[in-house]
Amino acid sequence: MHIPDGFIAPQTYVPAYGFAGVLWAVGLRRLRRTLDPAAVPRLAVATAVAFALMMVTFPLPGGSTAHVSGVGMVAVLFGVWNSFLALSLVYMMQAFMLGDGGVTALPVNALAMGLAGSVAAVLTYRLLRRLPRLAGVFAAGWMGTVVPAVLVALVLGWQPHLAHDATGDPLFFPFSWNVTVPAVVLPHLLVGVADGMLAVMAWRVLGREEDS
Amino acid sequence: MKERLVLLLYLAVVVAATLVHDARILLGMALLVVLLHGRSGPRLLGRVLRAVWPFIAAVSLGYLLVGRTDLRATGDTLLLINTRVIALTLLTFAVFGRLDLQKALGFSRTLRFVLILTTSQVLTFRRLFMDFRLALDSRMPGRVGLLTALRHGAATSAWFLRRAEHDATEITQALDARGFFIDRD
Repeated sequence: MHIPDGFIAPQTYVPAYGFAGVLWAVGLRRLRRTLDPAAVPRLAVATAVAFALMMVTFPLPGGSTAHVSGVGMVAVLFGVWNSFLALSLVYMMQAFMLGDGGVTALPVNALAMGLAGSVAAVLTYRLLRRLPRLAGVFAAGWMGTVVPAVLVALVLGWQPHLAHDATGDPLFFPFSWNVTVPAVVLPHLLVGVADGMLAVMAWRVLGREEDS
Repeated sequence: MKERLVLLLYLAVVVAATLVHDARILLGMALLVVLLHGRSGPRLLGRVLRAVWPFIAAVSLGYLLVGRTDLRATGDTLLLINTRVIALTLLTFAVFGRLDLQKALGFSRTLRFVLILTTSQVLTFRRLFMDFRLALDSRMPGRVGLLTALRHGAATSAWFLRRAEHDATEITQALDARGFFIDRD
């Protein structure tokens, strides 16, 4: 789902930076003002956990692999603000250190996956609190992957409408929603299942450790 | 201060590159980055191509398959988009290979602190994750299946969550012992 540089038009990434920048500043301010001394170290390790979770891959038919996003698990465990800041830091480090995702795509990735994914996962988990806990954990993991996929597909599909030359040829990402929505969302419906299963299994492992 | 200026200059060039819609200028920019990188320029180009080729290939093939009749216009569009992707990624790799990100983001004490802690944790976790993956591969006679991969992923994730909790407590105690929280705003 990571979008590289050069696919997002300035009409998208400049306002996205503005919006994400305000939220990053608010998040850091909340962090500085919190009375809990463990808040900053917890954020740092939440970021490292999110980074490690994204390295968990599973095989796909045809010999390729996909990786889980871990958004739902991180959001349910660490809360929306911590999850948003932690995932933003992960995307920043991936973009700057590993070249995975770009600097122009960073605010879009942070808002779609870090913010919207975290909010969707936590809301789902809370809405389903009357069901068995593992059902809520699975649904949160699934939503934390699928909601960002829908948003990324919408943003990508918007690019040819936003930025094109006089003849109508695209200047950035060239495909509209009729291509991006099925191409991005459909595989992530399955990746979301893996994400949900991973969240449930990790939750059960943690539960077993608590019991022993 | 120098790092912050480099970061600002980099961001300005990135914005400029997304406002230019001439493939020749973007190609010139890409060549300039490779040349300025000296002897390791070709290696940098190789690294960038390895990082972006799946996206470039998928988008280019998809765009060709969409079935435009004007092949020249299709070629021009793909040349512009792909050159921009390569030029920007080259610039990012070249700048951040040499820039000290922690110094560049030093305008916020909290951000810098989080970044230093995060980098150390991420590097440790990354190494440990690779160890876990190699351990799994060495114990499997064939290709790792979906269920095994998920079980391994779940156990690894749970281990990392436990380790994170432990590390957060240890770091907080270490900072507390050194008086970090006394002079905090």
